[in-house]
Amino acid sequence: MNPYPVVSELLTVKGLTKKFGARHVLSDVSFNVRFGEVLGLIGPNGAGKTTLFECLAGLLSCDAGNVKFRETNLTASQRKESLFYLPDAIVPWAEQSVKWALHFFQRIYGQSQARLLKLLVPLRLEEIERSRLGTLSKGERKRLILALGLLTPQPLLLLDEPFDGLDLRQTRDVMSLVREEAASGRTLMLSIHQLVDAGRVCDRLVLLSDGRTVGEGTLTELRAQANLTEGGLEEIFLALT
Amino acid sequence: MRLRSFLQLLSKEFRELFSSRAFWIMLIIVGALVGHGFITAIETYAEVSGNGNGPAALPQGLTPLDGILVPTWGAYDLAATLLFPFVAIRLVATEKESGALKLLLQLPHSLVGKVSTKALVLISGWVLAWLPGLAAFALWKTYGGHLYTPETANLLLGHFLRGLLSAGVGVGAAALAESASSAAIVTLGLTVGTWALDFIAAGRGGLLQQLANYTPTAALRSFEQGLLRLNTVVVMLALSLGGFVVAAIWLHTGRSFRIRLLATAALVVMVAGVCVAGARLRSSWDLSENRRNSFYVADEAALRKISVPLKLTVFLAPEDPRLTDLEQTVIKKLRRVLTPLQVDYIANGRTGLFESSEDHYGEIWYEMGGRKVMDRSTIEEVVLDQIYQLAGEPTPDRSEANDFPGYPLAVQPRMAALIFYLIWPLTVVLSWWLLRR
Repeated sequence: MNPYPVVSELLTVKGLTKKFGARHVLSDVSFNVRFGEVLGLIGPNGAGKTTLFECLAGLLSCDAGNVKFRETNLTASQRKESLFYLPDAIVPWAEQSVKWALHFFQRIYGQSQARLLKLLVPLRLEEIERSRLGTLSKGERKRLILALGLLTPQPLLLLDEPFDGLDLRQTRDVMSLVREEAASGRTLMLSIHQLVDAGRVCDRLVLLSDGRTVGEGTLTELRAQANLTEGGLEEIFLALT
Repeated sequence: MRLRSFLQLLSKEFRELFSSRAFWIMLIIVGALVGHGFITAIETYAEVSGNGNGPAALPQGLTPLDGILVPTWGAYDLAATLLFPFVAIRLVATEKESGALKLLLQLPHSLVGKVSTKALVLISGWVLAWLPGLAAFALWKTYGGHLYTPETANLLLGHFLRGLLSAGVGVGAAALAESASSAAIVTLGLTVGTWALDFIAAGRGGLLQQLANYTPTAALRSFEQGLLRLNTVVVMLALSLGGFVVAAIWLHTGRSFRIRLLATAALVVMVAGVCVAGARLRSSWDLSENRRNSFYVADEAALRKISVPLKLTVFLAPEDPRLTDLEQTVIKKLRRVLTPLQVDYIANGRTGLFESSEDHYGEIWYEMGGRKVMDRSTIEEVVLDQIYQLAGEPTPDRSEANDFPGYPLAVQPRMAALIFYLIWPLTVVLSWWLLRR
């Protein structure tokens, strides 16, 4: 029996504010994440995407605002039970092998060997299994980190720039993996600065500019918010910021 | 499931320790230092034992603790000061700098559990580094050398606590500082600070000297003299644990800076409280075979009967050897049996620019129950007689024989150079290579 109330909003973020000294990095950020969707967090460099993810994951403290998961307030230390955040540009455990990292996450979360094997082929990790993490290229590292995230059981997965450093074919493979994961009932939130990629993979989008949410919805809804009759994400973003 | 997950984390920390070059380099250096200390100690011990038809020293003066164990294990004091903290720093700082900490913090274990695994792994690493030291014990036994188990175990306990303190300080500094290099500067700063405290406080008495009793060097010294003091153990444990808790507070990046600062302040108050309370504990055990930290049994029994507080006022400068003599041979032992005991040090330096010329210089005043008496001697028997006189107690019979036989042994350090300078480094390098595969 499902212990949670049936709601369409998995995560509700209200009035999230974060300051570094006197500088407001996030100002009154509010949005919803719906169950089973792929939500894109769009914004230029320095918009506050990573800070927002780290605040959501409980890795950074917030100055104001609250985060509700299935309508229940989540303290910073409770977040890891409901969501998992995959940071961008990290080189964890440089001296360890890819195989070890995968098995470490598999065992920590009690995942089956079949689940692990299912990730190896689409993410092309078999060929680098014996390599040390410190010797991987940016794209290889990105694929491994994504695999680690997919081995976690939390209902919501936050991915910071998941397509950064991937070539065209790898981007396409990762996109289909992300869609498969969403189809299996998991919710994903991706921070993306490449608007084309965002349009292709996300169900809905949250636009972030200078630490503020300037729009939220599907492409059609955002177009309406921007008073545009046609145009892509780029035009919408420019119109709303 | 929880235990399995914890073991996974523990195994990860072991892998991280074993992939650290700093750890393997420490092992090689420790082996060489232990080897040098052991070989030199064996040769010196052989000389004073009458090697090569030379004159033998008094056998009662030959104790393996002073002659072999302490000089050999001195390498570990050096390692705990200058090498091991960096191994500890690396275990935390690398994860902070590489971003691995962001993943680690989201794993299912509590932060206390995560820091505990690091502490456990560091302690294991420290004990692993003891292998050359333990090999030295084994070699000494094969030469026919004598080991007295209580004092040997006490020395090991001292080095265990010394390593634990280094690990706590290193991990705490790494969690507080932005980078590994900043953490190294913090750690070295603390070490140099304790050296300065040791130097400045010598023979000055008061709070400064009480503090100096708990610097790592001073704390280890009491273990090296075969003395197990409960207050030293409590203070060292509290400080080490404090370091690990500081790490748990500052690695919790999801808490605001203010909260972490407040938590640290509360911790400092708590650790200070434990240290102050711990420092008042007077229980101690003389585990040395020659009872160097104790008076004659008869004297101890007589002194324990005295319940009136004794105050000693000593007019001797810190650099005066008579003060060292008084401290080492009398006051240190008195503190163990006579409570309460108050010692005031009055004189300042007597040399150089700050030379003083107090009229009372050299005097030792004894005050008990409103009566005062002065003497200048620092000889144990004379000091005790003054105390008995003031307390109105008869001088006990000291005719008991000192039954410590002494353990002279004139041998050559056979195989030691081969083991410490060749086999040990090769074993370390081979293990490193095998574990990296």
